Amino acid sequence: MTEPHLKRELGLLRVTMMGIGGTVCASSFVIIGYAAGLVGYAIVPVVIICGVISLLTMLSYAELGTAIPLAGGEYTWAKIAYGGFIGFLTGWFEWLSNMFYAAISAIGFAYVISYIFPQINIPLVAAVVVIIFALVNLRGAKQTGTIQTVITVLFLTILVIFVLGGWSQAQVAQPTQNTGSIGLIGISVAIAYLFELYLGGEAIAAAQAETKNPGRNIPLAIVLTALITILIYATVVFVAVGIVPPEILSQQSSPIAFAAAQAMGPAAGIIVTIGLALAGLATTNEAIMAQSRVLYAMSRDGYLPKRLCSIEKRFCTPHYAIIIGSIFTALFAATGMVNFVVYAVNLGFIIGFFVVNLSLIKLRKIAPHLKRPFHVPLYPLTPIAGLITCAFLALFIEPSVILLGIELAIVAVFVYYVKMMGYNRFRIAFGGVSLGLGSLAGLVAHLLRTNSIVLHGVSQETAAIFFYVLVFICIIEFLAGILNVTASDI
Amino acid sequence: MVGVIQTAIGGISILFAFFVFYDIFNVQTVLGFVADSMGLYLWVFIIFGLLSVISGLFLLYEM
Repeated sequence: MTEPHLKRELGLLRVTMMGIGGTVCASSFVIIGYAAGLVGYAIVPVVIICGVISLLTMLSYAELGTAIPLAGGEYTWAKIAYGGFIGFLTGWFEWLSNMFYAAISAIGFAYVISYIFPQINIPLVAAVVVIIFALVNLRGAKQTGTIQTVITVLFLTILVIFVLGGWSQAQVAQPTQNTGSIGLIGISVAIAYLFELYLGGEAIAAAQAETKNPGRNIPLAIVLTALITILIYATVVFVAVGIVPPEILSQQSSPIAFAAAQAMGPAAGIIVTIGLALAGLATTNEAIMAQSRVLYAMSRDGYLPKRLCSIEKRFCTPHYAIIIGSIFTALFAATGMVNFVVYAVNLGFIIGFFVVNLSLIKLRKIAPHLKRPFHVPLYPLTPIAGLITCAFLALFIEPSVILLGIELAIVAVFVYYVKMMGYNRFRIAFGGVSLGLGSLAGLVAHLLRTNSIVLHGVSQETAAIFFYVLVFICIIEFLAGILNVTASDI
Repeated sequence: MVGVIQTAIGGISILFAFFVFYDIFNVQTVLGFVADSMGLYLWVFIIFGLLSVISGLFLLYEM
């Protein structure tokens, strides 16, 4: 009896629609407003530059996606090119990025519909959307692809109406801001922030195990997705800043719907909101699928528990991977923090893009005879340009997100070495760490009690509560440390 | 039980770090935290939280 496996059932149209649906996201049209506030009318060239930077790496995705048609995308390629640890670290960040991306898509959806329903609870709506699309994904890629195609076609139609309807208004509006004063730093900050606009298209490569004739369809779909999305964003943003000045646009929760309402009346604002909401749903759906496939591949290779790569027999989907990733995604979505999650998405994908370009160069060297249905043009200039731009953009990521990234890398190192070096050694080590944390909590409690540490502006009662909380933490950490160090199976 | 509580302490510590950093519910003022040292607070709470969560998960996994 053969094991259940992923079915090849997605054609070029569906895969391209999946790419566009995954890329043109409701959150993109929310963050465009903030970016317009940063760079004014220069937002149009910024959007185009972002697209070109993204296309550089998308070409690498196309080559690797067709040469190595296995589930997992960046993770699988990095593993083949550089081996275990780099592959694992890439997969780890790819998984996190897709979860953050699903979360920001759901948050974007919630912000967009707040244009019609201002009283809604944005974090709650975002979390509910994630849960619903986790259930949709559990039913399989065919249903997912069909929904994605319908939503994307509807959304594109609405955007075309917005562009055509608003074009004459946009022609009338004249720039009033001096865009020359923004400078290279300002432009770079905006590009690093808007990098999220073109993310999602790489999910095409991650879904290659389910794509018909991947040698032809994957590169075509990736390039088509990149070109169409550049056109969409550039025209929509041009019309939007032509209708409403950037400084006003940046103050709106749903800038494009606001611009549509200004140009064509309130009904247009509502129609655009519906389109953006549908796009938000489509990207949430696609990102949930992408994160589950990464988790599936990492589990298949033994880095994560085997249960995560088990396939549900009826719908042929990695159900445990979908459920676990969706739980974390729903938690991220429930924070409702747009800018932080956007930068987190960008950091993860910048790391992913960097590794993809490196993997391409390495594989050209170590596996020159690998069958490649598609070759990156102007090699090695294209992947090198991709590497340089990724490294440059990383300089403009929010510091708190960089901090989070470092911490998540530490967790990744821990998970990897637990798997490689053995469970029990790490358990003893963390038993010791717990004892240390308990000692620290006890020391701080003692210093607080003896007034060696004074909390300024805090009442005696609050200080006493702090003391008892620290004593409780001290006791728990000590108990946990002792239990871990003396566990019977060590 | 110890594992559950330790994991919860770790989770709350991480959550608290974000509350402090983004000054949610005016936490910085209420607790008298100095704005210049915010990066340090974030490090301490998150590292403490992560280590507690991992240690707690070892105990939970044993169950």
